[in-house]
Amino acid sequence: MKAGIRSSSLARIFLVAGFSVALSAMPANAQKAGGNITVGLELDIPGFDPLKVGVYDTAALTASSALFDTLTTLDASGKPQPKLALSWSHSEDFKTWTFKLRPGVKFHDGTPFNAEAFKANFDRQKDPANKCRCAFYISNVNNIQAPDELTVVFNLNDPSVNWPSLNSYANQNAAVHSPTAWKAKGDEYNRNPVGTGPYILKSWTAGDRMILEKNPDYWDKDKVYFDRITLKPLPDAQSRFASLQSGEVDLVWDDETSADNIQKAQKDPKLTVHTYAGSGAAVYALNTKTPPFDDVRVRQALVMALDRKKMSQAITNGLSRPASNPYGDGSWVKCKDDGALPEDLEKAKALIKDYGKPVEFKMLVTATPRGRTVGQVLQQLWKRAGANMEIEQVDQATIPPRAFMRQFQLTPWRIVDTADPDIQMYANFKTGSPVALANYSNPELDKLLEHARNTPDTAQRIDDYCAISRLINKEAIWFWTFQNTYYAISTAKVKGLPKMYSGVIDVSRAWKE
Amino acid sequence: MATLELEVAEEAVTQPARKGRRFGMLFWVAIGWLLFVFAVAVFANVLPLPSPTDMDMLERRAPFSAEHWLGTDGLGRDELSRLIHGARISLFVGVFAPVIGLVIGGALGMLAGYFRGRFESLVVGSMDVLLAFPPLILALAVTAYLGQSTFNLTLILGALSVPAFMRVARASTLTLARREFVIAAQALGATHARILLRELLPNVLLPLLAFFLLGVAVIIVVEGSLSFLGLGVPPPISSWGSMIGEGRESLDVAPRLAFLPAAAMFLTVLSFNLVGDTLRALTDPRQGAL
Amino acid sequence: MAFFVARRLLYLLPVLIAVSLLTFSIASLLPGDLAYTILGDQATPENVAALRAEMGLDQPIWWRYISWLGNVLQGDFGRSFRTGQTVLQAVAERLPVSIELMLLAQLGALAIGVPLAIVCAARSGSAFDRFMTGSAFGMLSVPTFLSAILLIYLFAVELRWLPATGYVPFGEDPLANLRFFVLPSLTLALAEWPGIMRVLRSDMIATLQEDYIALAKAKGLKPARILFVHALKPSSLTLVTITGINIGRLIGGAVIVETIFALPGLGRLLIGAILTRDLIILQGVVLLVGAGFVLMNFVVDLLYAVLDPRIRHGHA
Repeated sequence: MKAGIRSSSLARIFLVAGFSVALSAMPANAQKAGGNITVGLELDIPGFDPLKVGVYDTAALTASSALFDTLTTLDASGKPQPKLALSWSHSEDFKTWTFKLRPGVKFHDGTPFNAEAFKANFDRQKDPANKCRCAFYISNVNNIQAPDELTVVFNLNDPSVNWPSLNSYANQNAAVHSPTAWKAKGDEYNRNPVGTGPYILKSWTAGDRMILEKNPDYWDKDKVYFDRITLKPLPDAQSRFASLQSGEVDLVWDDETSADNIQKAQKDPKLTVHTYAGSGAAVYALNTKTPPFDDVRVRQALVMALDRKKMSQAITNGLSRPASNPYGDGSWVKCKDDGALPEDLEKAKALIKDYGKPVEFKMLVTATPRGRTVGQVLQQLWKRAGANMEIEQVDQATIPPRAFMRQFQLTPWRIVDTADPDIQMYANFKTGSPVALANYSNPELDKLLEHARNTPDTAQRIDDYCAISRLINKEAIWFWTFQNTYYAISTAKVKGLPKMYSGVIDVSRAWKE
Repeated sequence: MATLELEVAEEAVTQPARKGRRFGMLFWVAIGWLLFVFAVAVFANVLPLPSPTDMDMLERRAPFSAEHWLGTDGLGRDELSRLIHGARISLFVGVFAPVIGLVIGGALGMLAGYFRGRFESLVVGSMDVLLAFPPLILALAVTAYLGQSTFNLTLILGALSVPAFMRVARASTLTLARREFVIAAQALGATHARILLRELLPNVLLPLLAFFLLGVAVIIVVEGSLSFLGLGVPPPISSWGSMIGEGRESLDVAPRLAFLPAAAMFLTVLSFNLVGDTLRALTDPRQGAL
Repeated sequence: MAFFVARRLLYLLPVLIAVSLLTFSIASLLPGDLAYTILGDQATPENVAALRAEMGLDQPIWWRYISWLGNVLQGDFGRSFRTGQTVLQAVAERLPVSIELMLLAQLGALAIGVPLAIVCAARSGSAFDRFMTGSAFGMLSVPTFLSAILLIYLFAVELRWLPATGYVPFGEDPLANLRFFVLPSLTLALAEWPGIMRVLRSDMIATLQEDYIALAKAKGLKPARILFVHALKPSSLTLVTITGINIGRLIGGAVIVETIFALPGLGRLLIGAILTRDLIILQGVVLLVGAGFVLMNFVVDLLYAVLDPRIRHGHA
């Protein structure tokens, strides 16, 4: 740091030439129209066609929240507010939801947005001929009807009390694409998305950046401030943070493993750290059909050998919050007893000894510094208990296919922050679900999941979910390490960033002072 | 390996110095450093060091202390121990991969340079084909698909170094094969095998060995680059490259975590380069520069 | 001359075919079923069988090679299953970045190496010469990734003079574009200049000892003229060779620099293809890079022959 101070006078000369520092005299929170924002994302975005990419990751979600609209959006207290839908109602049993759509909305290519267009989106995703990997996330939707131009009716297979909240961010299922566009462009649509959102795709160079420009015909254009959004994939965490510090980008995605940078940013008056403590957690699934995980003793031993406090200290300087169940503090599911196994190394060692055979297995990690660090910490913790783990590094994009094909012994996964645990818990644990990664089948667990899904009574559902947690924890088929805390770091000038529900960084209605 | 180096050094001294070139101070310092690194790496498991993988998670990035002479790294592992085990890896891959190249490439080069004709064109052509591929990409593809392991890495880097050794062997053989002693041996009715092994090999070996040392330097850097990206030796094995990569995140908090392995790598690579270059200048004075 | 070119071309063809064969073999023999990866959770046995039939993956390997090669010769290298882009589109987007990086790096290396070589050759044996030769030698022992992170730390984080990562196309903003390229090209130039400087220096020292230089000095020609006109020219051959080979090598080879500086070049495209198992991209781009390298060597050879008549007539 001394070198920086010594040369600061010299640097200032260059800084003035190289950077345009806007010393604004505006009042603190007045929205300022115009200007650009550059966002540094972790990953490059492969595309937006749900048929091609299957799932939108965090990077794609930042882009999609600007390009597309959804039926609803969540406000600061987590309640759904109108967006493309003006109002909604449900049947007694919560299986039918009717949404009234906003009139006068157009896609970027001029196609009018209406119920037919909305229905076409869902039909395309659900059509078995399309083999969309996105289909199982909407497996609860039986069909959609468009009785008139501005009314959409969801017919669900099972009751969903929080259905409007579940369509509040532009993921692969909820983002509304222009049917004209995908029909016309075919394979090329993936990289030429057309939505109804506040920004239009202007240019996109793979691996380099994506430029979005303000949509002049947007139905809510008074609330949209930036003229232009530039999205850049910067996979290297250090370079990404350095770019933020040097002013090349205005906002970056980050996570707890860059704890040093986050803590540095927290002390820096020129930077703001945005954070959101979500529900859900970072989780791991054990393949109970392959040895040694077909034996519950081994599974329990691994879970008991963990020391989450030490892990948090080692990996994230203590920033991560330990998780003992899949819901977390950010969820409305609060359990008195979630059945979490104690962190007891001696008991873990005893269980492994009891098992008798050598415990050796491979764990998938992402081929990133983050993945390697977490992998090595877990490896070390389990070595103490007598289990030998080998790290298998794979690309982030390879984990879903491997998981879906059950080609793993132990894999990381995530339960994302959402308004209702039903979709993910059902998908992750119901017998026969493609995402029931543990290959574990238990009729009692299935019954609890069905009951939680079918009951509109919140208190009963909480009971069900806590019972589910106790069962899963006891059988140790999945385990959870840390609760979801989402981070974004920006320059202090960026304002108006909404809460990062589901970890989505939405800059579409932000501004810079 | 330590003994082999001493022999090479002695041989070089007893040979008549061709251009009045002498071994400077730097040469001996380099040899000394290399001996030190080799000794420490070979005896790593016998030395009283803490385990390189045991984490003291609450003592991350600890400064130098009696318990951890060089402090601990980002996950609380002993830095000195990791440096020494890193030396093992760098030297293992760095030495054995070029050995593969030396043996296979050297043999191919000698045969090509001696027999000439179609065989030579075939060998040279194949090497050209191999050289057309970006080496890092090939190494990455192999480790990504066949699994990350020190063994796989050594194999693929060895395979990639074959063309270079082939060229050196062939060039030497081409020059030597026209010399009188070879023609004499042929006139006396010696078999090809005899000429190759008794006459040519001893003379080709020296430039090859000099080149070998340079090759070690290059391979250490390549392994370091791959491990820096996290795609070389698998974690938790420490390699200087992966230590630098991990230390990068703590550059302003604890720069020593990146600089210690960087210094170790730099000194070792420099020493190999010095020794190799000096030997090459001795054995082939016309090719003074790299 | 034409005979020489024809002979070299004849040699070129089998090499190119061998490159394509090797590329295809490596890509095909890598374990992991492409159909499974593409289908993900839709990978039921029927779907997998259907996709494999559709992609021709169930045919024997030689048939697949021939059909791939046939498509390639017609310009169809295939599409990435992840992004839907064709290989040529992906390469066209990235090639300008790699070329610019490589050109600037070479220029930088020449700008540093050539003047130093000349001065050192002229003052061979002096303290300056020994210092520079030593530095060149030392520089060769510094890995690229090390100089990269040191440069970033110094110039981007501490001094804040230059950006740490990023890229702007030249057409859009030439000045910003060059700013983004300073650190990456400098990193590569630092790795390349020692090689250039040492070769040129020893070449020139040898030339300076020739009789005709002594004659030129005796004639009273100015030292500068002797150095630049008479001594440098014969070494231009070596310079051309080295530069040509470096250029060929760097296009696919600047992977480390591209990754650290987040430049969207060919190197990063290749790493991405390997890690995401995008075999179509991998095989197409490796073929293009390999073929490019072989062609570059061919051009350098031709240039060499043009400049040095001895080569033309087969006395290499």
